[in-house]
Amino acid sequence: MMRRTHPALSAWAWLVYGFLYLPILVLIIFSFNDSKFGATWAGFTTKWYGVLLAREDVREALTNTLLVALSSTLISTVLGTLVGLGLWRYSTRFRLPLTFLLVTPIVIPDVVMGVSLLMFYSLVRGGLELTGWTFENGFWTVMFAHVTFQISYVALTVRSRLAGYDRSLEEAARDLGASSVQSFLRVILPLALPGVLAGALLAFTLSLDDFVVTYFTSGSGFRTLPVLIYTSVKKGVTPDINALSTLLVLFTVIAIIAANAIMRPRPGRRGEA
Amino acid sequence: MKRTLLLTLALLSLSACHRIERTDTAAEGQGATTPAPVERNGGRVLRIIMWSDYIDPDVVKQFEKQENARVILDTFESNEYMLAKLQGGGASYDLATPSNYFIQVMVRAKLLQPLEAQKLSNFGNIGAGFLNPNFDPGNVYTVPYQYAATGLAYNGKRFTPSSESWKLIFGDTDTVRFSLLDDPREVIGAALKYLGYSVNSSDVAQLREARDLLRRTVSKRGFESFSGGPEVRNKLLAGTLDLGQIYVGDLLQGAAEDPNLKVYLPSEGTTISTDTLVLLRGSPNPALARKFVNFVLDGEVSAAISNYTYYGNPNTAAAPLLDPFLRSQKAFNPSQDDLKSGKVEFINELKAGNTTRLYDRIWTDLKAR
Repeated sequence: MMRRTHPALSAWAWLVYGFLYLPILVLIIFSFNDSKFGATWAGFTTKWYGVLLAREDVREALTNTLLVALSSTLISTVLGTLVGLGLWRYSTRFRLPLTFLLVTPIVIPDVVMGVSLLMFYSLVRGGLELTGWTFENGFWTVMFAHVTFQISYVALTVRSRLAGYDRSLEEAARDLGASSVQSFLRVILPLALPGVLAGALLAFTLSLDDFVVTYFTSGSGFRTLPVLIYTSVKKGVTPDINALSTLLVLFTVIAIIAANAIMRPRPGRRGEA
Repeated sequence: MKRTLLLTLALLSLSACHRIERTDTAAEGQGATTPAPVERNGGRVLRIIMWSDYIDPDVVKQFEKQENARVILDTFESNEYMLAKLQGGGASYDLATPSNYFIQVMVRAKLLQPLEAQKLSNFGNIGAGFLNPNFDPGNVYTVPYQYAATGLAYNGKRFTPSSESWKLIFGDTDTVRFSLLDDPREVIGAALKYLGYSVNSSDVAQLREARDLLRRTVSKRGFESFSGGPEVRNKLLAGTLDLGQIYVGDLLQGAAEDPNLKVYLPSEGTTISTDTLVLLRGSPNPALARKFVNFVLDGEVSAAISNYTYYGNPNTAAAPLLDPFLRSQKAFNPSQDDLKSGKVEFINELKAGNTTRLYDRIWTDLKAR
């Protein structure tokens, strides 16, 4: 039986949802507005999507953004999962300081993180000068910078996913003859998987819309979408950026639906076990 | 946000000194024989960091073709962000476009090298009002690129100002809905101008007077917000605002689409700021960078840029080639007389630390209301 919600409560819920989603709706509508300065409605048009597709800088920035997001997510998911598992499984006196180190990149202001990474790269470059080998800030520096903050998010989601499980599950598997690799692959990893996926999705999104850290670590000539958009805000956002944002919203919605479909427990499976 | 950034910057500048000195000696050691970096298409590469949407892309293409070079154009959102990125040393750029009040900061941080613009063949095109500015005596480091005077904008279809004066905002009327720029120097500068003082005043009594005037002003019923150009433009179009303080260029971009948008420079005088082209230390390709500066100083090129950005043009050779729409706008080009007499006055860096604190306190006080 469904319990009836108090009308005031559901009205409040609608208000909150409206507050969250109306701006996005307005943005989508205005991406079809036939005026360069989107304050007033000047008729329906799809021309901004054409303008957008013709922009080479946007295409380049989009490619950069996706490349960085995909590769950094891959690396940070593997590393973060291992950290999360380790924190869950072993209790050492380093656990508290380790957790503290993991939380730091989450709470530290982006500006501090970006500038300190920039300085770090400069130092490394300075050190390498002696060996005659050098590098320029660009794809790699941005990618590793993203990994540094993504690891924390992945590790913490994985650890909290496992927090409820009894560690004797693994011991039981070992007692039944599973090797350490087998027990990891067949017992621990499946248990942690929803956490791993959630962490990976979180890491991907964070990389996708990071501006500050990317701006400082990107060197010259390497631009991602957030950098492109944020630096053009001063002159007023042009409607083709609205079109771009609309496409990104669409992409996110599809990704969330797909992720939900994958992570939903399949009916029937539970009965077999 | 900005405060954290500045704090980090302060720390950064400590560590940056060391780095810059080293690049210095390296540059001297190798001299001009260092080959220019070669990239994909075999041509040379020029790296510029500037405000977004601040140059006509066709002009860039023209330069690339003419010099068989590639131009990498990166953008920044505020002078502070640009400074932080340059000081961190992660990126090597040839040219940047800081605002005039930022030049001395960059010189002190040892980020610039002399541009020697006087040696460029097109340097003579710069208007007299923009030569030898006090932020860079003798034009050692800078060449004026584009400028922005600050005016008051309105939508002619919805509002008719009774005079072209700051009075509509600072006077006794309470019916006009107005906004001010979200920038301490612009807002305090406007009040100082209305009172008949310099926008760079460091006189405590004058500043106190300006503070009291501004306190009264922002407590008026008509005061709407502190907002930037694009926002003001949109609010004027939507009719939720009668009068807005705005950079003339920001308004003219909109006026080209909707001729009802109008802007005037207040009769008591107003502020102006230039964005400049500077040559950065450690520039990988200074010769190509100088060529680019000379290219931009060409009358036709300079006019093309202004016709694209709608920002003020300091180039006398460009003047007759400007879009008739721009030439018809009185606010687009303050007269050389107004510039020389100081009626339209440059915003300069404040000298003493004490004065900076005073401006800071006035601004915090206003924003807290």
